[in-house]
Amino acid sequence: MSARTLLILLASLTGLAFFISLLAGEHAAARLAALFALPGHDALERELLLALRLPRVVSAAAAGALLATAGLAIQARFHNDLAEPGLIGISGGAALAAALALAARWPTLAVSIAAFGGALAALLLVSHLARGRATATLILAGVAVNALCGSLLTLLISTLPDGALRSVTFWLMGSFAGSDGRQAWLLALLAVTVTVALQHQGRFLQALQLGDRAAFYSGFNVGRNGAVTIALAALAAGVVVSQCGMVGFVGLMAPHILRRLTGLHLPTLLKLAPLAGALLTLLADLAARELLYPAELPVGVITSLAGAPFFLYLLTRKQPTHA
Amino acid sequence: MLEIRRLSLRHPAPLHDIDFACTAGEVTVILGPNGAGKSTLLHAIGGYYPAAVGEILLAGEPLVGIDAARLASCRALIEQHPARPAGMRVADLLHIGVAQADRAMLAQALDLCGCQTLLARDCASLSGGELQRVHLARVLHQLLASKAAQRYLLLDEPTAALDIGAANQQLAILRQLAQRWQLGMVAVLHDVNLALRHADKVLLLKDGMQIAHGDTAQVMTQSRLEQVYDTRLTELGDGHGQRAFIAC
Repeated sequence: MSARTLLILLASLTGLAFFISLLAGEHAAARLAALFALPGHDALERELLLALRLPRVVSAAAAGALLATAGLAIQARFHNDLAEPGLIGISGGAALAAALALAARWPTLAVSIAAFGGALAALLLVSHLARGRATATLILAGVAVNALCGSLLTLLISTLPDGALRSVTFWLMGSFAGSDGRQAWLLALLAVTVTVALQHQGRFLQALQLGDRAAFYSGFNVGRNGAVTIALAALAAGVVVSQCGMVGFVGLMAPHILRRLTGLHLPTLLKLAPLAGALLTLLADLAARELLYPAELPVGVITSLAGAPFFLYLLTRKQPTHA
Repeated sequence: MLEIRRLSLRHPAPLHDIDFACTAGEVTVILGPNGAGKSTLLHAIGGYYPAAVGEILLAGEPLVGIDAARLASCRALIEQHPARPAGMRVADLLHIGVAQADRAMLAQALDLCGCQTLLARDCASLSGGELQRVHLARVLHQLLASKAAQRYLLLDEPTAALDIGAANQQLAILRQLAQRWQLGMVAVLHDVNLALRHADKVLLLKDGMQIAHGDTAQVMTQSRLEQVYDTRLTELGDGHGQRAFIAC
């Protein structure tokens, strides 16, 4: 499929999923009337739509875009198809740092900054451990870092009072339920910033598919461009974790599906990944809301239910290879 | 001119006091036994390994002061085992390292390397020889699309994946390219007879030391090659000036 066709298709599907997600539920007709402020619409419904549902849907789309872009960038940087923020410890590091910041009652922005720091520290640790070793080492180091962060997180949670424990546990499973306007703005702004900034790394990441040395001979400062890529990926994944908890496997599934559809061309993939990620999380959030209605599932449960078998399929299909 | 002045390196393989120059349109071949430091020297010339002692000058300018992007416009390198990125189309591979694509130059590079029919192929599906040709077209596009006054092509065992006929043909093409576009070429080879036939200059390397450098015919003597490779050789001649060496 040509990149242009796929871009149009993905943009249409994402727009449609956004619209359905905005209206879906018991009072869909009333929401539709409220959304377009049709004559006789319910003012309260409109207020609820704008104050609760819209931020939630925007947050879901932006988080998906960030996770997919971060996943693609990490896979390209480390020449590892299986690298994903949740699998290589970035989300674990971000979650631990964010939980510590939450426990210390830091404000929202400070929690995001702490999560970015945690994500970056985990990513640097894992990449340092894996440097010069087999590609599988990156995943194994990520498992170890995740286990360590998970243990420390459990230790931290066990000291929390019951009410806080429940909310932190739900947050960790990943959810867009508590999204407000501020969070939606933060994530949307970050999604645009990271997507645009990573577009500038497209040619570098494409050259990197020939190896670090070949990228240098192709005219790129591998150290500097690599550091920018890693920092942007850690920022994206870290802030998503701090705001929405663990939404796993989106960063794995979206790039893989796109590579299968269009081939390995990083400048194109970087344009498509945000749309594919947004589409996946919008659908996952819709399923999380509707599957057990009126109860709601954490969105991380849905993405993991789809993503874990996908990961196993990739594992059995081939060994981790050079991207 | 590409000048290597009293270059010494400690890592990844030691090199001591390497001193030679390569000019436009000239093919220089680096020869030596396994572990002599040939690939390390080539990557040092490419700017990947910085010199511990000495310096490399490109058109009179120290290599260390040239940023990666500008360096890529005046020198390119094909590695010993060029990448075969699965899922990447040959047409996309050919644009890597090219800031501003030049269709005319790309068409010429494709024509010379015989890659016109490979554009839509996935790199993973290429044979060893096809992959070598595609990477050669890629680096030619990289160099020819730039307007740099002096351009150098560095090749690490460019005939490694090729049979004897294809290897001979490949080196003939490279020589033709060097003359046509006045590219300076430095190639690491294992086959002394290919070097004898296609090189303008030869650099003999052993244990990281420069044994000799100069015109091919003068440098590649039986006694010197025996000293470098630690093996007895027999020199053959066809009576018309063509020479070859075989190990006894």
